[in-house]
Amino acid sequence: MNPREEKVKIITEEFIENDEDADMERQKKNPKVRRQPRKKQPPTAVRKEMVSEKSHLGNQQEPVQEEPKTCLLSMTARRGPQSLPPIPSTSRTGFAEFSMRGRMREKLQAARSKAESALLQEIPTPWPRRLRSPSKKELETEFGTEPGKEVESTQQEIDSQSHSRVKFHDSARKIKPKPQVPPGFPSAEEAYNFFTFNFDPEPEESEKKPKARHREGTNLEQEEGEEEPPAHGGGKETDEEELLNGDDAEDFLLGLDHMADDFVAVRPADYESIHDRLQMEREMLFIPSRQTVPTYKKLPENVQPRFLEDEGLYTGVRPEVSRTNQNIMENRLLVQDPERRWFGDDGRILALPNPIKPFPSRLPVETQELSIKAELETMYKKAVKYVHSSQHVIRSGDPPGNFQLDIDISGLLFTHHPCFSREHVLAAKLAQLYDQYLARHQRNKAKFLTEKLQALRNAVQTGLDPEKPHQSLDTIQKTINDYKSEIRQTRKLRDAEQEKDRTLLKTIIKVWKEMKSLREFQRFTNTPLKLVLRKEKGDQKADEEAYEAEIQVEISELLEEHTEEYTQKMEEYRTSLQQWKAWRKAQRAKKKKRKQAAEEHSYDETEEPHPEEDLVKPIPPEPTDRAVIEQEVRERATQSRRRPGEPMLVPELSLAGSITPNNQCPRAEVLRREDVKKRSLYLKVLFNNKEVSRTVTRPLGADFRVHFGQIFNLQIVNWPESLALQVYETIGHSGPTLLAEVFLPVPETTVVAGRAPIEEVEFSSNQHVTLDHEGVGSGVPFSFEADGSNQLILMTSGKVSHSVAWAIGENGIPLIPPLSQQNIGFRSALKRADAISSIGTSGLTDMKKLAKWAAESKLDPNDPNNAPLMQLISVATSGESYVPDFFRLEQLQQEFNFVSDQELSRSKRFRLLLLRSQEVPEFRNYKQIPVYDREIMEKVFQDYEKRLRDRNVIETKEHIDTHRAMVAKYLQQVRESVINRFLIAKQHFLLADMIVEEEVPNISILGLSLFKLAEQKRPLRPRRKGRKKVTAQNLSDGDIKLLVNIVRAYDIPVRKPAVSKFQQPSRSSRMFSEKHAASPSTHSPNHNADYPLGQVSVRPFVEVSFQRTVCHTTTAEGPNPSWNEELELPFRAPNGDYSTASLQSVKDVVFINIFDEVLHDVLEDDRERGSGIHTRIERHWLGCVKIPFSTIYFQARIDGTFKIDIPPVLLGYSKEQNMILERGFDSVRNLSEGSYITLFITIEPQLVPGESVQEKFESQEDEKLLQASEKFQAECAFKFPNRQCLTTVIDINGKTVFITRYLKPLNPPEELLNVYPNNLQATAELVARYVSLIPFLPDTVSFAGICDLWSTSDQFLDLLAGDEEEHAVLLCNYFLSLGKKAWLVMGNAIPEGPTAYVLTWEQGHYLIWNPCSGHFYGQFDTFCPLKNVGCLIGPDNIWFNIQRYDSPLRINFDVTKPKLWKSFFSRSLPYPGLSSVQPEELIYQRSDKAAAAELQDRIEKILKEKIMDWRPRHLTRWNRYCTSTLRHFLPLLEKSQGEDVEDDHRAELLKQLGDYRFSGFPLHMPYSEVKPLIDAVYSTGVHNIDVPNVEFALAVYIHPYPKNVLSVWIYVASLIRNR
Amino acid sequence: MMTASPSVFLLMVNGQVESAQFPEYDDLFCKYCFVYGQDWVPTAGLEEGISQITSKSQDVRQALVWNLPIDVTFKSTNPYGWPQIVLSVYGPDVFGNDVVRGYGAVHVPFSPGRHKRTIPMFVPESTSILQKFTSWFMGRRPEYTDPKVVAQGEGREAQPG
Repeated sequence: MNPREEKVKIITEEFIENDEDADMERQKKNPKVRRQPRKKQPPTAVRKEMVSEKSHLGNQQEPVQEEPKTCLLSMTARRGPQSLPPIPSTSRTGFAEFSMRGRMREKLQAARSKAESALLQEIPTPWPRRLRSPSKKELETEFGTEPGKEVESTQQEIDSQSHSRVKFHDSARKIKPKPQVPPGFPSAEEAYNFFTFNFDPEPEESEKKPKARHREGTNLEQEEGEEEPPAHGGGKETDEEELLNGDDAEDFLLGLDHMADDFVAVRPADYESIHDRLQMEREMLFIPSRQTVPTYKKLPENVQPRFLEDEGLYTGVRPEVSRTNQNIMENRLLVQDPERRWFGDDGRILALPNPIKPFPSRLPVETQELSIKAELETMYKKAVKYVHSSQHVIRSGDPPGNFQLDIDISGLLFTHHPCFSREHVLAAKLAQLYDQYLARHQRNKAKFLTEKLQALRNAVQTGLDPEKPHQSLDTIQKTINDYKSEIRQTRKLRDAEQEKDRTLLKTIIKVWKEMKSLREFQRFTNTPLKLVLRKEKGDQKADEEAYEAEIQVEISELLEEHTEEYTQKMEEYRTSLQQWKAWRKAQRAKKKKRKQAAEEHSYDETEEPHPEEDLVKPIPPEPTDRAVIEQEVRERATQSRRRPGEPMLVPELSLAGSITPNNQCPRAEVLRREDVKKRSLYLKVLFNNKEVSRTVTRPLGADFRVHFGQIFNLQIVNWPESLALQVYETIGHSGPTLLAEVFLPVPETTVVAGRAPIEEVEFSSNQHVTLDHEGVGSGVPFSFEADGSNQLILMTSGKVSHSVAWAIGENGIPLIPPLSQQNIGFRSALKRADAISSIGTSGLTDMKKLAKWAAESKLDPNDPNNAPLMQLISVATSGESYVPDFFRLEQLQQEFNFVSDQELSRSKRFRLLLLRSQEVPEFRNYKQIPVYDREIMEKVFQDYEKRLRDRNVIETKEHIDTHRAMVAKYLQQVRESVINRFLIAKQHFLLADMIVEEEVPNISILGLSLFKLAEQKRPLRPRRKGRKKVTAQNLSDGDIKLLVNIVRAYDIPVRKPAVSKFQQPSRSSRMFSEKHAASPSTHSPNHNADYPLGQVSVRPFVEVSFQRTVCHTTTAEGPNPSWNEELELPFRAPNGDYSTASLQSVKDVVFINIFDEVLHDVLEDDRERGSGIHTRIERHWLGCVKIPFSTIYFQARIDGTFKIDIPPVLLGYSKEQNMILERGFDSVRNLSEGSYITLFITIEPQLVPGESVQEKFESQEDEKLLQASEKFQAECAFKFPNRQCLTTVIDINGKTVFITRYLKPLNPPEELLNVYPNNLQATAELVARYVSLIPFLPDTVSFAGICDLWSTSDQFLDLLAGDEEEHAVLLCNYFLSLGKKAWLVMGNAIPEGPTAYVLTWEQGHYLIWNPCSGHFYGQFDTFCPLKNVGCLIGPDNIWFNIQRYDSPLRINFDVTKPKLWKSFFSRSLPYPGLSSVQPEELIYQRSDKAAAAELQDRIEKILKEKIMDWRPRHLTRWNRYCTSTLRHFLPLLEKSQGEDVEDDHRAELLKQLGDYRFSGFPLHMPYSEVKPLIDAVYSTGVHNIDVPNVEFALAVYIHPYPKNVLSVWIYVASLIRNR
Repeated sequence: MMTASPSVFLLMVNGQVESAQFPEYDDLFCKYCFVYGQDWVPTAGLEEGISQITSKSQDVRQALVWNLPIDVTFKSTNPYGWPQIVLSVYGPDVFGNDVVRGYGAVHVPFSPGRHKRTIPMFVPESTSILQKFTSWFMGRRPEYTDPKVVAQGEGREAQPG
């Protein structure tokens, strides 16, 4: 609905009201409006019709009309101020009285204009109406009376009604403010209102409605007739309406056009006078005054200001705000906030001491897009180095500026220099003495003291004068006494001074004489020094008198003193004498008693002690003798004083002497002078340890003076911490050498340029110089005497004369850092910051100084910053007896201790927490420490406490003797310290540990990747994917598995048939030579007949046990079985700690045992054979392979064929038979006896082995050698990155040592040499066996992840533990001493990984020795575990393998060929002859047989107990007879080293235990601890037999070798009686 | 080691990763995980979560809304090691590789009730400009080996030299 419509309606209404008049008028003046009714009605409108029409109209219009009304309401509401006042009663009555017609015209005109303008106003807001009404209509027509709508519509009705009222009021109000209109005449507005507004009073309308209702009949029965238009009329009406709208709009626009100019009004421009404006502004604006606000205004009434600071509370320092700003703010706040909340008790604005927030706050991000980006854009800022000495940096609050320090270096004078000749030395001494003399002379202390003495004496005289009675006698006496004692002191001082003066003079003269004699002696003069002694003669007589008088006075004084002393002493003597006498009496009485007693027990007498010591009878003091004193005084006087009449000597040193020219000097002197000329010096100026400038280089003068005369202006920003000069000397063209460093004091702030005196600082250097000419050198002894006695050692020393001062700027202001400018009276910021900077570090320990400083600098004792200092000072100055000599930084710590220390240690929970945070291994991974103490079991600590105890007391039960216990203890300690170091190192993360970042690709990689882009895609091509590596971070139990893939085995021993027809086989006496000579087997296939070819000879299966988890494969058949099975074993880390360090130290071993499954038919009744099978499965252990977990961990995977460790005697099995089956392999297989198994072992998921910590170790090696070795290694690594190259290793002390130092011939034990005196090879084998018997302890386990530590052979033998390197080194050294050519081989072997072997050169071939097992292999042995050779190490060189291949099979070991072996020492770097780190000789103690026997018994007992433990459900019987048999047999095995005894043994056993089925075997191990032995026995599974009547036998034999190397044999067997 | 029912206290965390402001990036997803001390054990709920990929809202806020719910319960005996939530946000770069866009961590609020936390996010920077370029080019920006390091203090000590 638009305004035009509205207008139409209004007019219609009016027309309705005014009947014909209005009708006429309308017809005349408003033809446009008239058209509407005309259209609807015929022009012949009669009144009656009009009524009907009206009713019709009303009916027709009302729905429409209602809508605009509501809209109007909203409109008026929007117009706000136009709301309507109550209507004046007159207006209504006036209406009635008017004869309106005449006026109507003009009124209408005015009304029209008004209406137009109102319309114009309304135009901008037509839409809401439009939008709302039609939809409403629609709703109403279509849905009838909806309850919600109904409510709304009633509301609308009410609104409309009230609105009509409101409108009325409005008009009335509009009339009101226009009083200028003459009464009776309606204004234009009134007129307009008259025509436009609906003046119908409410009752009228309600009247009208019923009327309409009546007419409409049923339709109007509805309550809200107006709102609910009749359904039938709705459509038609709207149509009409629209038509009307169209016409009206046109007309209206036309009317607007031609009337526009009527509305423009012309008025003069508005002007406000400046005065008015100011007035207004004054009303509007508030300008706070700058005046200081009186305090009473800022405080609540009747409140006095309160100053907290005066009350002693700490308030902190308010931030600096200028006074005016503060005043302005105060004034503003007073006006704004009358409650004065902003003011503190002291009447000042509340302020925090520090406006800086302690935590950062993030600015709110603005919503505009652009600013967000700017806000959040990441910015890279380079890390700023923390300025350590921040207190010395000028604060930002201080005016920045350059300050200047002027350092004037005027010159340098040597008091000693290497080029000094003897004469110079004397001259320097003389000059020094003379300087001293001058200084003393200037002070003239002796004279001063003499005068003081005189004055004191006078004072005493006057004091004694009785004519001055105004002081009490007492005080006089006291002062006189004081004077006297002072006289005494002064006299002593004077005497000393005089004596010093005299001796100084004497020495000067003496030196001068020496110099003269020297000059004469050497017949030339070097120095221009000349001493002249001037004699000053005085009046002899007066002199003498004075001298005598002085002596007399002194004597009298002394006499007085002595008498005083004498009386005092006498007093003492008397008292002591009395004491003595009393004692004497008592003593006598005692003696008497004792005598009586002695008569009774005479023998007791001598023994009776004398309880009291005898008092010495005091000696009476001697009275003093005047003569003695006089003599003393005179003697002293002659010594220290000038004798009367003796002339006063005044020495004068001048440089007037002449120096002998060069051509008259001897050669040595000339050389010296030339040397001096070659030397030149310069000084470096160091400011805060940085060189800032240096002087020019000046030649050294012949007088050893250097004049610089340079002034350095240091522009500084930092407060100077140190100022130093470095003296450099250059000789000839060589580089400068630092002679000495001198520290200059930083000048006081009062010292400004121009006022600073030239000062001298002494320096000295400790350099040693010997010269081949007349120069005496420095730091070396020389002598003045011809015979060289009386030697002197002089060091180069000298003085630098300099001055340091603050510069003065252009305007006369000293350029001193302002901090110190405020120093006077103010507390300086610098000093406030740090006490150390103002009083020095030494001052901190001096309490008084510190306290003084604190008082001086007016430290605020309440400032929390100063609390530690204050606490200290209060302790120091409070006069407490105990002054701590330490400075506690955290003196408030106690306040933060939430429990007392006792409670902390008592509480189990706290203890647990503490231990965990200390990373004690047992608790490092302790989770969920209980909340309450009661929930913590005492058990938790047991292990830990036990370990703590054990650390000190090592149980001797597990160790053979104290030696071994000590070794274990030592190892434990080394391990712990190293692990602790490692744990600390672990905390240091590298960038790579934290962040994964791609390396910058180099050209080749880039090229390769570009090439790859161009490469053809081959999606089907299989690619090997690397396994995902897992860092041991979030692993837990069960995450890690050990995968063991058992592929196949070769040459498993086969069963022998029942040994009924036992025959003694021809003992194959294999000699050593046969082993490596590839000779065909000598074994006679004599058992062939026993074995039908098809018969199953063995049914092996493999059992893998790891961490007490056991898995086994299926059973295969035959001596060369193939299983190809994968076994999965879970891995548990110790203490649940899966960190790298912990994993590295896992000591568990994977046991791979091969068993033979034997089926025994136990069917007792042959008749049942058809119906049932009764077999018993037995398993017989054949051999095992042990692989330590650490090897698997470091290698990631182990893949290869391993030799099965088969016991030397395996009863019931033999290996001979396979010759027949696989003869083809004979030649190869026979080279090395034994069975083999092919394995693949890995960890799933793959663990990343910890990187060994690359620490730079210190070294005592030559730097050049180290560099060369680094270079060598780098070159080798570049060529063959996979080959091991070792040049330097780390010894047990953590120092880098060159590797060849470890190799040196060392004597093997005599005992071993004597076994086979003639057979070198046998001896070698024995030695190798000895070495292999030393227990193996991998470094990586004990020194987790650190690095390999190499111990020397004696350390190794002492520790009796070591890994491959130690074994190899020892073996190699033994071989060297046996006269073999031997090398250390560094390479890779299986299963050890990187390892060390020993290579020896036998006649014509090489042998490779495994030092840990004692086995040896020929170079071409395919089963040699050594797979790669990296380098060879000899006692004097290292050779790196630069051949194409590194397998020992394919390389040439001839190290003399430089094309094959790159040697470390060559012609360019010859072998420097490095001394060995090994001892000269190894000393072996004979092993203790008794101890070994004891251990043997103990082990046997332990093992037997263990076996019984392992069989908890069965009875374990021990066959003692068998045990003793076995025990006899074991030494034989040891003797033969486990070879070729099997058949003898078998025969013997058979003989003795004929009716037993026997299965068992001897185990052989080196002895280290008991645990490995137990594990080994367990792994054989002998105890697993559960046949009811089984018996066991177990024998242990320990063979001791020198140095407590023990070879342990354990024979374990099970016996089943044959029925 | 412990009695049958050791005393513990429970910490229940309910909430969500609501939205993020990454003005420079779009189409991001986020991951969250918890870092907590040794005495803490999660008893229920998810310790880790990964969100959907979300795009920027089209209004002026340009927020990346995930509304990724978090619901986890911890039990503990010790407030030490109070859980921290670690958020890491990833999104594609110009070449479509997923790269990390931010790491951040915040402690789980200490007091019960509704809390809203805004975590500033950051990423490690390349060590050199050349590496920055190559990492941009190869789509392999520097990342933490484990996002949990942002909630840990190990190795953060300033080292001399």
